[in-house]
Amino acid sequence: MVTLNDYAPIVGPEVIAQLQRLAERLGPRRFVHINSTRTGGGVAEILSRAVPLLNQMGLNTVWEVIQGDPEFFEITKAFHNALQGHDIRLTPAQLRHYEEVNRENARKFSWEADFVLVHDPQPAWLIHVMRPQVRYWIWRCHIDVSRPNLKVWKYLREIVAKYDASVFSMAQFAQNLPHPQYLIRPSIDPLSEKNRELTPEEIQKVLDRLGIERDRPIVLQVSRFDSFKDPVGVIQAFRMVRKHVPCKLILAGGEATDDPEGPRIFAEVMEAAQGEPDIQVLLLPPDAHHEVNALQRAADIIVQKSTREGFGLTVTEAMWKGKPVIGGAVGGIVLQIRDYHTGFLVHSPEGCAFRIRYLLHRPEMAKRMGRLAREFVRQHFLITRNIRDYLTLLTLVENPGSLSIEL
Amino acid sequence: MEVPPAFDYDLPAQDPFWFRECFLMTMPLGRKAVNLRELLQALREVDTAVLHFHLLQSRLAVTQPVVEYPNDFALWAASALQDVKLAEKLSSFDPLEYEDLEQVRQAMVDILEDYLWDLPSVPWARPGFEFHFCKASMVVIRTETPARTLRDFCLHMGKVGLDSVYYHFFEARRRHGHRQVDDFSFWIENNFGLPELVRAIRDIDLYFYTLKEVRDTLLQLILEHLGEICGYPE
Repeated sequence: MVTLNDYAPIVGPEVIAQLQRLAERLGPRRFVHINSTRTGGGVAEILSRAVPLLNQMGLNTVWEVIQGDPEFFEITKAFHNALQGHDIRLTPAQLRHYEEVNRENARKFSWEADFVLVHDPQPAWLIHVMRPQVRYWIWRCHIDVSRPNLKVWKYLREIVAKYDASVFSMAQFAQNLPHPQYLIRPSIDPLSEKNRELTPEEIQKVLDRLGIERDRPIVLQVSRFDSFKDPVGVIQAFRMVRKHVPCKLILAGGEATDDPEGPRIFAEVMEAAQGEPDIQVLLLPPDAHHEVNALQRAADIIVQKSTREGFGLTVTEAMWKGKPVIGGAVGGIVLQIRDYHTGFLVHSPEGCAFRIRYLLHRPEMAKRMGRLAREFVRQHFLITRNIRDYLTLLTLVENPGSLSIEL
Repeated sequence: MEVPPAFDYDLPAQDPFWFRECFLMTMPLGRKAVNLRELLQALREVDTAVLHFHLLQSRLAVTQPVVEYPNDFALWAASALQDVKLAEKLSSFDPLEYEDLEQVRQAMVDILEDYLWDLPSVPWARPGFEFHFCKASMVVIRTETPARTLRDFCLHMGKVGLDSVYYHFFEARRRHGHRQVDDFSFWIENNFGLPELVRAIRDIDLYFYTLKEVRDTLLQLILEHLGEICGYPE
């Protein structure tokens, strides 16, 4: 099992000692996380590692997952899209189903806790039934809600307003809410299968298995097959680049169990890539972390051309591997990438094509950007920082109204 | 250079120095400015904690590897409004020159009013780069072992996190109620005298340094004034 001390060589022993001091001062508490999937997506990935670490530090931490039928996940996916700005209408029957599934889950949850962190809208309604079981309720929104669909947000706001605090990944996602709002940047785990160091042999093995030859520079986008990740836009950009520079494009997409839209977008991507032998589309299972790691390490340039993004952990992962990243200028990507320092921000397929060409022609520049990017991630976006934020958050939520608390 | 030849670096201080660590949580308000006029209006209205965050505390939040501008307003003028002239003006604005945050607010408002007065049109942020107002809450904890001598202090100083440097240099000014006094020089002055070193620490051009540079500069000053008692910055 990975222990907190295993992170010391990466972040420094003083960071680890600091976390331990903070946890000691907070004291033993019962802390529950609730989300809607054990696999797939950044939330599940970070919880799978953060929960054991919090336990090691003396916080009795549990991760619960709500269960639902396919209709429930269709509805919550519609929530997700509406919160990211899509014009979607939910019928009263759908909202009743959402509430009913939450009610059924609440019946199974008999535990009590000091704090519960409810991730995203799927389990948000639990508070209606479970309020007395938990002292402090915190809603953790991982979604880009900078321009939500008003009707859907109004419905969700009624629920979220009952919480004691909420947490967003970016300042622009904060809303008009009657409780304190906090900012916690997501993070990656440098020791996970997706991010640990790999030997050249390990990388080559994966490439051989996936049938990828390294005969030309590799441009890679890793993301779920989701319209907001704009995989079709990446293909357009690649076609523009290919007129001038030889290279190949790999689109590698995971599937998440709570995303019913995946197959449709995947079909659109296959159609756009048709007839182009230098584009490889890989549909990877949600636990293909080792393969993703190897692909990111093998790539020369990594693209994340999202048109909406909560934070963009695939950008963080790529930066941690010392790669230059070209990202859509949206959501958390803007926070991570600074033009000419840690990568490039783009607004269109043309912009993306231009920057791919720029970096292919300037490998030294690409290397320098990658080095800066890795250090930037070390300082700000590793799991140890996330743990620190959780501990700080719990302390602050217990002491509302104070801007400075000395423990 | 003042180096008291008989100075005993292991002389115990009357009051030991307790290093504190601070954990900052950014608190977004859910309010934004899309153009310079909205920024000005908001600066007139928001809590002073918001100014404190964007001018000082944000250096503990996410910072890019290369510091181009010393505060969030200057950075926004450059990157979002793409108005380098305004960014230059806001970069030269030093909040540590003022006695309190209300004075800081008035000075900021004056700069923006003057600037807008001469402009033919109001500059707008490019989409996605609006200014989002935040404040912050902080949890402070005292480290377990205090520094009892100057040598101890120096050894600790090389190891503490940058959050600690921030707390004792920047937040200290509010606590002491004096814009020039930080915790470090305050402690040295009260326990050991050393007026030249104290003056040199208070003369550090704090606002234009990164926190790491502040720490390195402090260690360098101790090295220069007292000799090598605990190693020096790499």
